[in-house]
This record gives sequence, C-alpha cells and structure tokens, in this order.
Amino acid sequence: MTALITRARPKSGLSKRLLNGRASASLISLAVAGVLWEIVGQAAKVPFFPPLTAVLVELWSMITRGEIFGNLATSLANLVLGFGLSLIVGIVVGTAMGRYRRVNAALGIYVYALLTAPSLVFAPIFFSILGAGQGSIVAVIFMYSAFIMIINTASAVENVNPSLVEMGRSYGANEWQILTRIILPAAAPMIFAGVRLGMGRAVTGMINGEMFIAVVGLGRMVTVAGKSFDGAAVLAILIVIITVALAAIALVQFVDRRITSWVPNTTKES
Amino acid sequence: MTQRTAVLNTQTHTTPLPMPQRNPQRPAWIRALDSNLTYQIGTFALFALAWQLYGTYWGGLLVPTFTETVIAFVELLGTGEFWEAMFISNQALFIGFALSIIIGVPVGVLLGRFRTMERYSDVYLNILLVTPMAAIIPLLIMSVGFGLLSRVILVTIFAIVMVIVNVRAGVRQVDPTLIQMARSFGASEREIWFRVLIPGALPSIMTGLRLGLGRAVTGMVIVELLMVSLALGGLILEFRGMFNGPGLYATIVAILIEALLLISLAHWLERKAAPWAPNNQKGRGSR
Amino acid sequence: MIEITGLGKTFTGQDGSAVRALDNVNLSVQDNEFLTVLGPSGCGKTTMLKMIAGLMPWDEGEISIAGNPVRGPGPDRSMVFQNFALLPWSTVLENVAFGLRLRGVSKSEREDRARELISMVGLTGFETKRPGELSGGMQQRVGLARALAVEPKVLLMDEPFGAVDEQTRRLLQEELLSIWERTKVTVVFITHSMEEAVLLGDRVVLMSARPGQISEIVPVPLERPRSSDVGGLERSKEYVEITAYLWERLREMHDEHRAKNPAALNGAGR
Repeated sequence: MTALITRARPKSGLSKRLLNGRASASLISLAVAGVLWEIVGQAAKVPFFPPLTAVLVELWSMITRGEIFGNLATSLANLVLGFGLSLIVGIVVGTAMGRYRRVNAALGIYVYALLTAPSLVFAPIFFSILGAGQGSIVAVIFMYSAFIMIINTASAVENVNPSLVEMGRSYGANEWQILTRIILPAAAPMIFAGVRLGMGRAVTGMINGEMFIAVVGLGRMVTVAGKSFDGAAVLAILIVIITVALAAIALVQFVDRRITSWVPNTTKES
Repeated sequence: MTQRTAVLNTQTHTTPLPMPQRNPQRPAWIRALDSNLTYQIGTFALFALAWQLYGTYWGGLLVPTFTETVIAFVELLGTGEFWEAMFISNQALFIGFALSIIIGVPVGVLLGRFRTMERYSDVYLNILLVTPMAAIIPLLIMSVGFGLLSRVILVTIFAIVMVIVNVRAGVRQVDPTLIQMARSFGASEREIWFRVLIPGALPSIMTGLRLGLGRAVTGMVIVELLMVSLALGGLILEFRGMFNGPGLYATIVAILIEALLLISLAHWLERKAAPWAPNNQKGRGSR
Repeated sequence: MIEITGLGKTFTGQDGSAVRALDNVNLSVQDNEFLTVLGPSGCGKTTMLKMIAGLMPWDEGEISIAGNPVRGPGPDRSMVFQNFALLPWSTVLENVAFGLRLRGVSKSEREDRARELISMVGLTGFETKRPGELSGGMQQRVGLARALAVEPKVLLMDEPFGAVDEQTRRLLQEELLSIWERTKVTVVFITHSMEEAVLLGDRVVLMSARPGQISEIVPVPLERPRSSDVGGLERSKEYVEITAYLWERLREMHDEHRAKNPAALNGAGR
C-alpha cells in the first residue's frame, strides 16, 4: 500500500522543470534510445522491429487516412464511461469503507481480492452477460480501475487525522458536514493518488478490453495489425496508446494540483 | 444512566477514537454476530443469491447459475484436460516470474544505489508502468512465435517493472545515517551492501515480489486470452465456443482461486521475511 | 458552572481486558474560573475533558453545564486541541470562522467576527495564509481564535501548548492570561507541566492514574492579573512553594505506582 500512496509531483513551472535535471535526463535518454532504435531497426530488417522512421511514417499515414481519430474517439468514449463509473463507485464505496467499520468488514477482503486478481479474466463473463459490444468494454475498464480507487479512498479516509473529526464534532457538525467539510477535503491528496493509479489502469483496461472484444477502438486496431504481421502499424498504435495514457494521467495530475493546492510543498516530494 | 450513554453512543460510534469504543454491556452473542467474519459471509451469501437468481431468470445461453458453476468446478477438477492446461499455464508463469526476479532485483538495486543510472532510466520505467503491455503481444508473436518462449517473455515483462520499481524505492529509502554508522565502524562497501542496504530494502523487495507475482499472473492470463489460445485461457475460449456456460465460469473461478492463493502465499512470505517492517506488523496488514 | 459528579469510565480492550480510565470523579468549576488539571500520562485528564466537551460517552455519573446535563457537543463549550486541529486547506480566516459557519452565521457576519478574533490573538495580516505557512505558535493562536469566535461559556483546552517550543509557549501563556482577563470565560486547562498549571490556574486539580482519580485540588494564591509579569511571578515565594509541593505529590504517586506495579519503570505507563 505504501508504494501506492506516495505522491511525486514535478515542481511547478515548465522552465523550472527543464532546468532541474531529471527532465533533461529523460529527454536525452529518449533521444538516445530513438537514435538506437533507428539504427538497430535499419540494420536488423525484421518485420517485428521496424526503424523509428518507418513507424512514424506509418503513424502519419494512419492519421491522414483518418483511421486513428475515429478509433481514438471510440476508445476515449469507452474510457470516459468506464473510468467515470469507477470514479463514482470508488469514492462512494471507498469513503463508506474507510468511515464505517461494518462496511469495511463486509466488502474489504472482496475488494482487495478483486484488486489483485487478473482483471481480464472477467472479460469472458461480461461477454457472456453483455455481449460483444461497448457495454462489455466499459465493464472491463471498470474492473481494471475501480478497486484501486476504492482501496486508496478507504485508506485515505481511515487515515484522516482523528482530531480534525473531533474538532468538527465539538462545533456541532453533523455526519454529512463532517464527511464533506472535513473528511473528503483532508483525504483528497491521497484519494487523488489512487485516482491517478486508477486512470493508468483504466487505459490498460480499455486496450485489453478492446483487444479481447475486438469490435471497436485502438485495441481492435492492434489486434488487426498483429494478425496481418504489420510491425510498424502495431508500434504506431502503441505510440498513440502511450500518448493517451500519459495525457490521461497528466489530466488527473492537473485536476489534482488545482484541488489540493493547499498541500505544503515539502510533503509533495516523495 | 444507561440511557444517556446510549444517546452519546449514537453520536460517537462512527468516529474513530483512539480508544476502544465497544460497549461492555452488550451480550456476547451480539458481539460475536457483529464480527468481521459475519459480514464477510453475509456479503458472499448475498452475492451468491443474486447470481443464482440472475442465472435462473435472466441468464442467457452463456450465464450459468451459482450452483451450476460450483458443480462444473468440481467436475472440472476431475478432468485431465484441466490439469494439463494448469501445467502449461503455470510453466510460463513460473519461468517468467523467476526470470523477472533474477533480472529485476539486481537492476532495481543498481538503480536505487546509483543516481545517474536512475535519472536516465526513470522515463522508461514510467512509460512501462502506464503502457498497456498487451499491445506488444503481436510483436512478440511475430518475433518468437506462439511457443512457450513468447509467453515466458510476456510474463517477465509484466512482472519485472513492479519488481524493479519497488526494489529501487526500497534501496533508496534506506536511512543514510545507517550507512554512515556502518562506515564509522569500518564496514567495507561489500559489507554495507549485505549488512545494511539489502536488509534495509528487504521489506520493499518482498512487496515488489508480491506485486510482481500479481502482474505475472495477469500476464499469463492476458497472453492466453488475447493471442495464444491455449492452456487455461484456451479452455475459456473453447468453453465459450461450445456455449458451455458452467465450464466457462468454472475455469474463470479456478484461475481466480489460483491467483489469490499465490498472492496470499507471497503476502505470507513477505511478512515472514521482514516482520519488523511497519506494514507487516500484526493487526495492520499491509494492503 | 460545570458540575461533575461520580464520573466513571471503563475501557475494554480488544482482548477483553478492562482499564478503569476514570473512577468516581467529582469536580465543580466556578463561573469565570481558570482551572488547570495536572497529572501523569494515563490519568484520564484528556478523557475527562473530552467527556465535558461531549465527545466521548461515559459509564457512570453526571456532567452538567450551568444546570443543563451534557448530552453531546454544544454551543456553550469549545475546545482547543493539542495538535491544533486546523483545516490545512482553509485559510486562517476560514479556520477561525469554521465554528460560526457550522452554526449558519452569514458570511459577512462571520468574517467580521473572525477578523476581530484574529486581531485579538495578534495575527492581523495573516488572514489569507494557510496553516502550513504558519509556525506552531501561530497555528495555536488560530485554534484559540476559532474557539473564542463562537463565544463559548467554557473553553476546554487539551495541553494546548504541549506542541510548541518553550519560548513560544511562554508568550502564548501570557497572551492567554490577558485574553482570559478580558473575556472572563471559564477555562478548563489540561497540562502535564507543573509550572504551567500554577502560572495559569486559580486551582490545580491533581489527578492520579490507574484508576484515574482526583487526588487533590490545590488552590493557587498568586495575585491576579498575572499576565503583565510572568517572570516576576516565577520568582515569588508562593510560586516556588506550590510547584515544590506539586512535584512532591507527583513523585509520591510515581513511587506508589511503582510499588504496586514493578514493571513500570518510568512515569505511570500508558
């Protein structure tokens, strides 16, 4: 759990980030790897490892042919539905588990079991209930992302400083006021750590779900490209997928920083 | 007076106070009924009932009832086909997981100890952590085919990131004053590694292995379901093709049980290996 | 003002072992009195304070404030917490106005009132800062202002200066005295410092541990007002005598406890 709740955030300001070494090291590192990829790819001449330029050319032609955007939009729609659903469930159930012992007793071990279980095995179950459509994909995304958010929210709520709650009660706050004015704001930083992990898992669930129920989206594109042994296409879509994942997580971090700007800087470094 | 206590109790029972809040006057049988186990069993019973009703009245061709699944599960355990599938799946799982330990632990230790290496590798670990690995399965099959090797490689790739990241974090968080302390007693670099760094990082290493095992099982399931339909994943797809709902669900239950047993075992080992770690202390099970 | 009769409480541990936290506590606090409660850790002084605040149930006895039995937190009492219990995401102004907000006081009215209190505790100019940007001493001033903002009849203080450094503590003591001299609110002040108990209190309630009982109530004959010359007060003969007497009594308690329970080496144990 501890590994899940640490918060690492870059310092504010792009210029500062570029200056602080880590970012520039990453850029250098990426550039070196890009060059190496190109050289090895050119030299090897195997279908499963095309050079970087070939992949980029393929990506560009996919974009101009309009293949990417349609599928990307479908995938993102699945992601928004599945992630949105698990965000709501994650916060509601997690808060209940963290605050009420009996709820925790009733659900705790099952949530933890579902978190550790390989989520994709549920895909055939959804397939059997919801059929080969978007409903199944959304359900798979939910299975991937909900439980990490429930667990993190529960542990965030449980760890709220008890004297803050006591303080609220001493001023006559009722349960609803305690939840909304004290517990949820106090737990927000840790809840967001879980939401970030949940978002990462949701993107994975989206791709895996779409690969299993190969009717729509980026996941289906990967499957199709793989079946036709088109390495450059697989890698081009992979680049799109990684971009989606990083952008989705950046979005969560952006919202996080807006909402929990009160967290002192010293505790932000993990 | 008991009345007043009760009034106050209703305002207090939900607030986590540092001291036990249990009312001593409550009879023992009520307290026993209020135990965690009761709620756990209650949840399961409710779930099984809902499943049974759904399966009976609304379930289509592929949705069995709870009892049908239980019967199919018992039958499945009696078939040679199932155990053969288990063997093939686990072969890839264990070789892949072992490889991820053999490679991942030293890499994690090095990255934790040497800052520059860590700086340049960080971006890749971050990308690997968020990338849906399943998308590289087609590349693996193009390069090494449908055999054991491609499954082993995939399991390794799935597990190794968790191992590396946790080992690295563990080594990095070893208290530097401990290293200075060891130096002040004249410890050599080798002794610092084996007496301070590795024992200090052990709790995180064990956590990494547990999380890595979870990912390894995930990798095993994914490769069999998405690309190489054989073994347990193949069995699922086969049952689906034959519209054998109970068999399909029973196989999924079997995979879930295996995954949970393996991870519980890893959890137990984690506590055994590093009982001093705060997360492994009694009563505060690390989640 | 506050009447406590026959107050008792037994805690039952998870293993079924019973600890007598409070046993037959009788206490009566006068209007406008400054009462300090002194005792070793585990003597139940904080437990008693939380019961007066209505935050914790008890098994036997009665507590009443101005003739009304205590049934929960109420507007006639407010509490100052040892670890400040400030909302880290709220500004100083919002923190001070928190109690008023829960009572439904309008925004402009509660902010005016909060500003008044902020100036009383000497924090004018810090209204928009967040607790994380303040020192411990300043944070406790916010806690004090918040407690006074709701105009309580009784101020309950739980080792309020236990978490600040010695110098700051001294300044806060002087300030608390001068505020009390002006507002004449009734104060119950928990402390583990003999010096603090004597400097501030009209009477010192000395409590002993296991079971938590009142062992003696010691009147403090030092002159009021004391806020102007705390340093001089400490050199007075009466001050020295009372602190010496309290130390003797605490020491006796410690020895008795050790005779009864040889395993405990230091203090009364927890």
